[in-house]
Amino acid sequence: MDSAIFFNQLFAGLSTASILLMIAAGLAIIYGSMGVINLAHGEFVMLGAYATWALQTFFGLGMLISLPLVFVAIGAVGWLIEKGIVSRLYNRPLDTILATWGVGIVLQQAITLGIGSQSRFVQRPEIFDGNLFFGDLVISNYRLFILGVSLGMLLVTYLLLTRTEFGTKLRAVIQNREISECYGIRAERVYGLTFAYGAALAGIAGALVTPLISTTPTMGTTLVVDAFLVVIVGGVGSLVGTALASGLIGEASAMLSMIFNDTTGRILLLVAIILLIRFRPTGLIPQTVRG
Amino acid sequence: MAQLEIRDLTVDFGGFRAVDGLNLNVEKGELLCLLGPNGAGKSTTLDLICGKTQPTSGKVVFDGATITNLPEFKRARHGVGRKFQIPSVFKRLTVRENLELARSQRPGVWANITRILAKPSEALEKIMETVGLTDQRHVLAENLSHGQTQWLEIAMLLSQDCKLLLMDEPTAGMTASETQRTAAILEKLHGERTIVVVEHDMQFVRKVARRITVLHQGSVLAEGSIKDIESNPEVRSAYLGH
Amino acid sequence: MTSTLRNDFLSIAAFAALIVLAVPLFFGFDGYELNTFARYLCLGMVAMALALSWGTAGILNLGQAAPFGLGAYIMAMHLKLMNSTSMPGGMPDFMGWMNIETLPWFWQPFHSLGFTLLAGLLFPAAMAFAIGAFIFKGRVSGVFVAIITLAVLVAIQLLFVEEQGYTGGQNGLTGLALLTIFGVTIDNYSLNFYYLVAASLLIVTVLATMLSRSKAGLVLRAVREDPNRARFLGYDVSNYEILVFSVSAAIAGFAGMLYTLVLQFASPTYMSVSFSLSIVIWCAVGGRESLIGAAIGAIVVNMLEGRLSDVFVEAWLMVLGVLFIAIVLFLPRGLYGLAVSVLDAMRSQDKARHGTTAKTGEPTRPGESASTSPTASLSAGE
Repeated sequence: MDSAIFFNQLFAGLSTASILLMIAAGLAIIYGSMGVINLAHGEFVMLGAYATWALQTFFGLGMLISLPLVFVAIGAVGWLIEKGIVSRLYNRPLDTILATWGVGIVLQQAITLGIGSQSRFVQRPEIFDGNLFFGDLVISNYRLFILGVSLGMLLVTYLLLTRTEFGTKLRAVIQNREISECYGIRAERVYGLTFAYGAALAGIAGALVTPLISTTPTMGTTLVVDAFLVVIVGGVGSLVGTALASGLIGEASAMLSMIFNDTTGRILLLVAIILLIRFRPTGLIPQTVRG
Repeated sequence: MAQLEIRDLTVDFGGFRAVDGLNLNVEKGELLCLLGPNGAGKSTTLDLICGKTQPTSGKVVFDGATITNLPEFKRARHGVGRKFQIPSVFKRLTVRENLELARSQRPGVWANITRILAKPSEALEKIMETVGLTDQRHVLAENLSHGQTQWLEIAMLLSQDCKLLLMDEPTAGMTASETQRTAAILEKLHGERTIVVVEHDMQFVRKVARRITVLHQGSVLAEGSIKDIESNPEVRSAYLGH
Repeated sequence: MTSTLRNDFLSIAAFAALIVLAVPLFFGFDGYELNTFARYLCLGMVAMALALSWGTAGILNLGQAAPFGLGAYIMAMHLKLMNSTSMPGGMPDFMGWMNIETLPWFWQPFHSLGFTLLAGLLFPAAMAFAIGAFIFKGRVSGVFVAIITLAVLVAIQLLFVEEQGYTGGQNGLTGLALLTIFGVTIDNYSLNFYYLVAASLLIVTVLATMLSRSKAGLVLRAVREDPNRARFLGYDVSNYEILVFSVSAAIAGFAGMLYTLVLQFASPTYMSVSFSLSIVIWCAVGGRESLIGAAIGAIVVNMLEGRLSDVFVEAWLMVLGVLFIAIVLFLPRGLYGLAVSVLDAMRSQDKARHGTTAKTGEPTRPGESASTSPTASLSAGE
């Protein structure tokens, strides 16, 4: 086989993995800490993409300036949803699935009604135009940038969970909510912020992905399936696991769609999800870092 | 041969041996009390017998059959019944429904799909009478008092008609008179069924126990009658700490 | 007869009176008008199928649309073949477009109506049996069951859309013949057809109620609450879960077959995630603990959609989403739960007025009504 195609595909896989990582990290943090399977997570990604589009179209803001704004905005949406809906359902996991599913539908419809279902496009930052060439291997600067942001996010999240007071509180609440509250930790505040942070990460992923794929109200649905797979493979509560699993899934889906077609690739991924849940419900990598 | 034989039973929870080389024999119809300080491995022993926990090594033989690694529902079919420390009844089912469930002599799907629950059988009426829940038969289990819930679970064991009853602190949270009544029920069962009880209430133990086994750090520390145990210096030091 | 059985009998009788008499009367026994309502009844049946597994055993099947869609396609395959007899090789038109030379082997048996009807029930059930055995023997439970069933649904739908030559792809199976059974051709816009659907729903209601009231149904309710405790009583819980999962799939397959007869086409949208979500919503609205409640939930929501989607047009899905969140948050037992609480309140008021408060000293919850209605506590059986 032509090695150039192979290596280019390998890099495409890595690029997919970096986006997956940001989506999945948010999902994993929310699930690992609160036990909430957030089916609206894909819609947070979608909102991030639309927020970037809106800032560019209506205010002429470039993507780099928009990123922090998107982070805050989607975080706020996540916080509101946690306060209004998710927090009322903490000991009812199945109902949480249903409610977040409903939230996803409502967000999707809100965008469809407000903005329309046609595709939108966002300009990538000009400084990342162009490509790097290594022989036959072509690496887009922008994809490299995404990879960097994603790894940066991973590091920040890791430090946040292990080195900050917030992280300590979160880990305390995960282990025993009642006792933590006795020590003056406000669990509901911790939960709210955690959910907001997970949502904000998804929002950033959405913002970064806009120049690569067309932005539509249903864009999140496809992305979130892969992200779920990442969380399942990586094991909940393990950031390292999430990162490794993102790499694995990103590469696997790139390779599968190269070998087979897209549909078969997706079906195989779904089968992989099912087999994993059945045989390794705690993920391939045992928990190392909780949080 | 004893009805229940436990040989060198060990379970290792990631370096912590909750039960460590335990040997135990219980004869048919005997009532054995397990005593021991917190963390001695009493509840874990019951877990290992009923299949809630799988042992790391060792053997559990019941009625001549090795049940060491059987899934819990198969052990139940062999006649092993369990009452949990935190009363675990089906809270959103009525007293009667709980008892009907426990009557699991035919546990298969096909046997039960065609069975419609009509009048309670005489045996069931008798059991409800024994534990004093006849008037509560249509009450949801979650609306029972704590003592009644304990009795419901005991009644479930009776209804299950098991040969071996494993009881984890059956009198916890009961008033003195309720404890008395529980003791009377156990007294009545004694000889008929084999019973292993974990209990802290010494008054209760004195009343029901014929033989006592004291566990410490996962293995047997002492064995004997209530008198032997109370005068045993090793038991004292185990309870008081070293 | 115990009060539970009496209540079941009364509610089935009331439901029968509603769909056999009241509804046709309202539409002036006009078969054409009643076709729409027959559609609602099919949807009611699939909601009932979900209530059987979700409400009784706590198995939240997010892929309930899969057996429904399979049933629909199986019926459509038969009707398509019946309509293709004049075509070269008796092949459906769309296969020709995809350059398929001969009728595939798995289409062959669907020439037989008997085989089709059996397959519509048994194939979805067999599939559910296989999937159920795979997941429940591994003691997968709760949210993981929900995720797996969702993944299965998406995979099946992808497959059906992809294999255009065999399934008609995105278009589904259209241009179907009318069903001919024992030499009688059934017009889907006739009054008789409506009664066929209504009778099917009633039969399913009776059978499903019998299952839920049997000892096996009791075991399932126990499993919903605490599967481990049920195992310590000697029940092999997975067998019961597989049973209810398969029966529920068979009912959904039956509903799907009828649905194809009502609409005269089968489409991959019958297996879409959003359709599957709708089934869950109907069930939640009606009350998952009650089989009839779930069916009524489906009927009511779809009637509302019929009326309101003219007003809201595109916003209908949004309305549905908001309604769903509200139900999950504030009315987790659905309309059925609401009705039960209202009845309970009325009854205890009644008692208070007659000065005979509960005999056994149970202040608010009279024993009899409690036995027929699980309490207001909310968890879905995890």
